[in-house]
Amino acid sequence: MNQLDLGGCKLAICLGPGGVGKTTISAALAIDAASAGRAVDVMTVDPAPRLLDALGLGSDASEPREVDLREVPGAKRGRLRALRLDPRATFDAIVRRHAASPAAAEAIIAGRIYRNIASAFAGVADYMAMEKLLELDAEPATDFIVLDTPPAAEALDFLEAPRRLLELLGSRAVTLLGPRTGRFGGSMVDIAARAVLSAFDRVTGLKLLGDVQAFVRNFDGMYEGFAERAKRAGAMLHADTAAVIVVTTAEAGRIAQAREFIAALGRAELRVRAVIVNRAMANLPETAEISQAKVPAALKRKLRRNLEDHAALKTREALSFDTLRATMPAGAALMLAPDLGHEPRTLSDLAQIATQIHRA
Amino acid sequence: MALPRLLFVTGKGGTGKSTVAAALAHALSLERPTVLADLDPRLSAAAMLLGAPLTGDAPARAGANLEVVALTARAELEAFMRRIVPVAAISRRMLRSRTFGYVTAALPGLEAFLLLERLRIMAGDAALENRYVVVDAPASGSALELLAVARGVKGIAPIGSLNRIAHSVESFLVDSARFGVILTVTPEELAIREALELAGALRTHLGIATVAAIMNRTPAPMFTRADLEAIAGLGAHASLARRREHERAAARRARTQFARAGVPMIELAMLYRPAMGRAEIDELAAAIAAEMPAR
Repeated sequence: MNQLDLGGCKLAICLGPGGVGKTTISAALAIDAASAGRAVDVMTVDPAPRLLDALGLGSDASEPREVDLREVPGAKRGRLRALRLDPRATFDAIVRRHAASPAAAEAIIAGRIYRNIASAFAGVADYMAMEKLLELDAEPATDFIVLDTPPAAEALDFLEAPRRLLELLGSRAVTLLGPRTGRFGGSMVDIAARAVLSAFDRVTGLKLLGDVQAFVRNFDGMYEGFAERAKRAGAMLHADTAAVIVVTTAEAGRIAQAREFIAALGRAELRVRAVIVNRAMANLPETAEISQAKVPAALKRKLRRNLEDHAALKTREALSFDTLRATMPAGAALMLAPDLGHEPRTLSDLAQIATQIHRA
Repeated sequence: MALPRLLFVTGKGGTGKSTVAAALAHALSLERPTVLADLDPRLSAAAMLLGAPLTGDAPARAGANLEVVALTARAELEAFMRRIVPVAAISRRMLRSRTFGYVTAALPGLEAFLLLERLRIMAGDAALENRYVVVDAPASGSALELLAVARGVKGIAPIGSLNRIAHSVESFLVDSARFGVILTVTPEELAIREALELAGALRTHLGIATVAAIMNRTPAPMFTRADLEAIAGLGAHASLARRREHERAAARRARTQFARAGVPMIELAMLYRPAMGRAEIDELAAAIAAEMPAR
């Protein structure tokens, strides 16, 4: 059990800049909770191949799979299931579930606009992560969910992208591009947008207007269900039992990004429980040990110089921590996850990271 | 071999991409006027390191021959839309946001694509004025996606202006006189493997040449094998020393691996300093200038 006590939480969500090890930290926190006896689900996004192996996930693990905890030292009989977010497959499944008929579902899925949106629109991965969250939450046997998030430039992408996607699918669009009836009528904006799209088509050689129109018409009636689910997922994140965790590394550029994340989360009234600095340097050994060592003087000089070199890096890291501390939200803990010295390859590596997470 | 007009600096997250881009731009500016284009202007990490933070859209001067500019995909899309749609009379802002919603959702690669078109124009201008352009690009995964976008656009727009732009962007990317990739890497197995894979993917899938790999943070040699054996019993001191030599060895192996892949490797020393600032960037720039493939 590490110093970041998530015992009272039902959900932990890891946010942070790209390349800082969000997936590693998510997996580590999940293993930690499972070895404390809880029934845990962890959803990973884009894990490194080695991490996939460690969790025993294949390429198509979009449904939860039980992780064998036997190799984790001292594990109680908790349960851990892991899955990997597949935005496209999740989106297809939702469309099939909510569409008016199987034929309508296939019409949506085969459309050009849908194919583009489902594979590349940034909001989709975020929306689908929320969908999966609701699915996992519906499982009564699970008492703790850890959510890794898609790489994002900004913290609120995860929260706002679903809204953007919903806006696009919104019923307003139907009135905009379809017959001029309904709540919003044919305002100046509607007419202008139609003009813009048709000019765009003419110049670019695309047929966007028709495609967007067909896409929006197919989605008619599904919007409310989508919006309702996004709202419920949003409420889960704002609940007291949810722990919002910002993950970063001590590198100056990442710290600057992490600070922006923290500020944005504050504006969205999400309470940050902890900021975890991943791959933090271990404490340096004592100089005195060098003096006492039975090695030649020349080698002692090298050891001292090596220690001084690392001390400089340690100072650089400490400055980063100070910068972070200055923007820590009230009630949030600054935690460090130690650098293993190598890429985590096994469940024990992840468990080791988890048990060593400590307050800065 | 001459350097391409535009150098696109990318690498795995955490390999010091912005640091290297800043140092490279500074090194080139010692020879010719150079523009550093920052594709993540929100943070403008490279600009900060050069002591010339970006504010808004205005270029910042970072040296006698060095200028930093911010490039955003959104701004390129706005410019493109303005060019094709005259919408003066209507509430521009509302129209903009909603129509953009449709356009970007229907064609998610469009913004990125227009950014590449901007790079093509910048490289063309640089050739006319005998300048260099250095791009602080996104990290490797997104960079590959970005560079592949022209192909996708050609697929959806078989005719028309986008198709024409896609053709010119594609021929720009494969023209080694105008475009080349610089890969940043650190002496760790995973980063090295990713960089080699990226160089391979760029070459085979997109026909894009990697000009050089820059091995960042390479520790200077310190301990011999005999030294390491002699201190084996010294606990944490021994592991600090072993790690240093381990990274040193990884960098050495990488040089052979990159050479086999036809990519020259430039080594930058690990700077054991409490802070990275302008002085450190200048030091790295000098190392790059000394090792850069002949121009």
